[in-house]
Amino acid sequence: MTTGDQPLDEMGDGRGQAKPHWRPLLSSMFSLGRETLSERARLLDQAFAEEGITAILPGERSVNWRCDPIPLLLSAAEFAQLESGLAQRAELMELILQDLYGPRNLMAECLIPPELVYGNPAFLRPCCMPDGSRGHRHLSFYAADMLRGTDGAWRVLADRTGQAQGIAYALENRRILARIVPELFQYQKIEPLRPYLETVSNALQALGVDDAGGAALLSSGHSDPLWFEHVLLSREMSIGLVEGGDLTLRDGKVFLKTLRGLQRIGVLFRRKDGNKVDSLELASGTGVPGLLDAIRGGFVRMVNDAGSGLVEAPGLAAFLPALARRLLGEELRLASQATLWLGEGAVVRTVLRDLEGWLIRPATDGGARPVVPMLLSAAERADLASKMEADPGGWAASVAPIPSLAPCVGETGLDAKPIALRMFMTYDGNRWRAFPGGLARALSEEDALAGRLPRNAVSKDVWVMADESSMVQGVLGLTTPMLAIRRTAGDLPSRVADNFYWLGRYLERLEEAARLQRAVITRILRPMPSAREISELEILIGSLGSLKMLATEDASVLGMGMLSAAVLKAFRANGGMPRVLAHVARQVETLRDRLTGEMHAVVTRSLRELGEAMRKLPPEPNARTLEAASHLTTEILEFAATVAGLAAENMVRGGGRLFLDFGRRMERAQAIAAELRQVLDQPGALTQPGRVETGLRLALELRDSVITYRTRYLAVLQPAPALDLILADEGNPRGLAFQLVAARELLREIVEDGDSLLLAVEPLLQETRDIVQDVLRSPDQMVTTALLPPRLRKLDQAIAAVGDRVSRRYFTLLPVARSLGMDSEPRRGAA
Amino acid sequence: MRYRVQHITRYAYGSPVELAAHMVHLRPRVQPWQAVISESIVTDPMPARRTDGLDHFGNHVTWLFLDLPHADFEVTSEAIVEVDRWPPGDPAATRDWESVVEAARSPDGWEAAEFQFGTPMAPINADTKDYVAQSFTPGRPVLEALLELNERFYTDFRFRSGVTTISTPVSQVMQRREGVCQDFSHAMVSGLRGIGIPARYTSGYIRTKPPPGQVKRQGADQSHAWVGCWLGPEYGWIDVDPTNGIVIRDEHVLLGWGRDFSDVSPVRGVILGGGDHSVLVSVDLEPVDEGAAV
Repeated sequence: MTTGDQPLDEMGDGRGQAKPHWRPLLSSMFSLGRETLSERARLLDQAFAEEGITAILPGERSVNWRCDPIPLLLSAAEFAQLESGLAQRAELMELILQDLYGPRNLMAECLIPPELVYGNPAFLRPCCMPDGSRGHRHLSFYAADMLRGTDGAWRVLADRTGQAQGIAYALENRRILARIVPELFQYQKIEPLRPYLETVSNALQALGVDDAGGAALLSSGHSDPLWFEHVLLSREMSIGLVEGGDLTLRDGKVFLKTLRGLQRIGVLFRRKDGNKVDSLELASGTGVPGLLDAIRGGFVRMVNDAGSGLVEAPGLAAFLPALARRLLGEELRLASQATLWLGEGAVVRTVLRDLEGWLIRPATDGGARPVVPMLLSAAERADLASKMEADPGGWAASVAPIPSLAPCVGETGLDAKPIALRMFMTYDGNRWRAFPGGLARALSEEDALAGRLPRNAVSKDVWVMADESSMVQGVLGLTTPMLAIRRTAGDLPSRVADNFYWLGRYLERLEEAARLQRAVITRILRPMPSAREISELEILIGSLGSLKMLATEDASVLGMGMLSAAVLKAFRANGGMPRVLAHVARQVETLRDRLTGEMHAVVTRSLRELGEAMRKLPPEPNARTLEAASHLTTEILEFAATVAGLAAENMVRGGGRLFLDFGRRMERAQAIAAELRQVLDQPGALTQPGRVETGLRLALELRDSVITYRTRYLAVLQPAPALDLILADEGNPRGLAFQLVAARELLREIVEDGDSLLLAVEPLLQETRDIVQDVLRSPDQMVTTALLPPRLRKLDQAIAAVGDRVSRRYFTLLPVARSLGMDSEPRRGAA
Repeated sequence: MRYRVQHITRYAYGSPVELAAHMVHLRPRVQPWQAVISESIVTDPMPARRTDGLDHFGNHVTWLFLDLPHADFEVTSEAIVEVDRWPPGDPAATRDWESVVEAARSPDGWEAAEFQFGTPMAPINADTKDYVAQSFTPGRPVLEALLELNERFYTDFRFRSGVTTISTPVSQVMQRREGVCQDFSHAMVSGLRGIGIPARYTSGYIRTKPPPGQVKRQGADQSHAWVGCWLGPEYGWIDVDPTNGIVIRDEHVLLGWGRDFSDVSPVRGVILGGGDHSVLVSVDLEPVDEGAAV
């Protein structure tokens, strides 16, 4: 069928014709035309970016997920063959793990060399069962990276037994492709993907320990490059998304810390490095101390097992055929790309004689980038050769593959690009089942052939073409395991409540800063600022300074040029505005699993646009730049209003939203008290009533309350009525009392009846009324007002204290973990 | 020889610890030459959960979990142990060390092979390898070379406590030629592995008072550490104490072994809360009469 060393064409039948199962797709592609396809490729990029399938953490490298418009097609027969081969491999891996973490007979029989186990950092000794008794499986999930050679056979280049990641990306590829290029799906019978999540979910539920609580996905957190997958899987399967710090152990059992107390967890779907799950027995850090003890005790199950990455070692491929015969009594149905382990005899010399014909990988690190000697310079090759000679057992060599080609949309038309295919397997309690799709990727030279998931490479959707006759048979002939009753660990974890609280505070802080910036910029832009405006500017600069939005020593009202530069500095890289924006973005990303997809998309898009607009501010500190900055502050205020609106529309009342709102109210209440203190705290205020008046006028403006004041009291500005509006009027949504009342109502929903926290807000409200009454009754309102700052400072602190009480009660359930006995205490004699 | 071991570790915390998980290797391991007559591990406060089991190396491990606030934590292990190890035999009659390296790569050596690889605390290191190679000259009987190496450690290195920490690398120990038993053991293990000989880190105790008429051993009153070295499939393992320049006979009590300290650290834990902490360790290993029990 193929000739010599020519790469195989996925689409062609080798006789110049397209394979039958590709034909309908080809005709759809041709009727779309080259230009439309290129356009759709751009739209796909855009769609993935908009859906946030790119990380948006400012200052951190973003990962762009890309998908080619043209899928890779597998016929029903091809798929069935791959499924059977992968199922055999997965079971083989399971049996090898059972032996290596148990009696290790395979090593005694010399079927696996000690280097690949004892010399392998992925061999986690605390996961060993020396007595060999172990009632459960190591693997429920398995994936394999495959290439199709010139002879038409798929071969495995890498086995993924650790976390077998990527299913969520395959699901997203399909969903977005169907939306952006619907024409390709016409007249096609493609196996659907989503039902497979039921299989994954059942696999987890099937592992549950008696009535021991629900399943949860154990994530390494939002800094994980595949965080998006953790979010999607936990949401689609309705299981909790937890991090190490959310879990605690009591009497050997695992619990999730929630606002309502501890909730039992029975199954952990591991999406965290196996070596980092237990900080007592494995690597110190973010693990749950004692988790392995709980697993050994049978109180909780973890899949895949913490130590399951052991058999990803590339060198193991050399021994799989013999292992399959020994453990299964069968030949491998799906072979590995021919691989040699260089630690045996003179193998290393064989490989070094013809280095360019091989692909070189560290023998025990399945995640490392393979080295392609063909692409190295002579010096680099010599360096590699000397490393291999020095430690042959540390290396594995696979025959350099000639991967098959598949059509991809390029700049000017279709390009045939070499491809790799990742497929996923799940053990459903009875047998291994393949995900009816996969993740294909177009390989480029700089891209590793079998490294981790593609980062900047282009992925492809994988279509398994349904065979109508087999579909009917399949439904009838399938033995579906009984559906387990689904329990979810849904209650709000304390960490999540904390994140919502801080998202609320940062959003408010952003809004507050924008309000002040706008007030400053408006005044700078006036052609001839009046004396009053200049003294207002002085106050505003002080306020911005206390928000760390401006270095007050940089700013003088005497030099407008300097002042402009100082104000604009807050918008530039490392300035105050991008910093607060980054805080908001980080909280949003952390809470991704708690926001609806739409809300997350809208918020992240706005954040990205705001960040970009800041970066694009012209460097000159002139009027045009100030105008642009002023426009930005308006956009920020709109953004804050949008988030508030989205939260009201999209978030379930209760839980997270209570804390989001509470955070905003507390931040705003403190800001009002601090701001009022700042505008009144001026030199000479006691003897110059004009200064107090200026301050109050400014305070009304910053609280958007000028119009309300005018409606009530016309243009006469008097301290008591102004203070009433700002501090004590519970009906003014921009005033302090309103925030406190709102916070009190939120607390009623958060805490239990009769809790002393409920009474904490009342004295604060009383103080706002007392301040107004004291001013009203005093003989000289201006002087009494000028004396308020210390009292306002106390009020500010009292509000902060209430926030602290809530935070201590709900968020800091547990302090930071520290290790004993493995630290750097000086050694005295011993221990 | 029969001994009574008492090992007390006491942590005092600056502020209460809310939750604590400890993993201790404090129960002596039974060997053909070491019998454990009785043993106990007692803690104050009592743990909410205690598990006893074996680790990958076959050592006894005890897990202790505390979930009530406590300001200090004390773990006391006591045991009555009988040790009597046969003398090592004629060093000159042992096989040449190169054949031991070969044997570790053969089917007979797959278990010992685990101790051939470098680990974070006892890595393969050029300095330790060179130092070891000076005794392991070509064709030399392995035990003869090992005993000389053990003697050289004893004379070349100065026992000095407080100058090294758990994170002091072996390269620095080789440079300064001083440290404590863990440092010397890691250095020796590292060097033996460097030339391909399986070597393990061994944790235990040495008698507090010397036999009448002899000098007090270094490393008494504390946990002690020494080195296990594989001499081939026929001979198996021998234990030597580079800190004191002696072969283990009846002055040591064995707790367990691993690739380095981190596999068998006597007491380790993770605490939540606690502020600053201080730790006090006391070890006592005294000969007792036959029939004594805890």
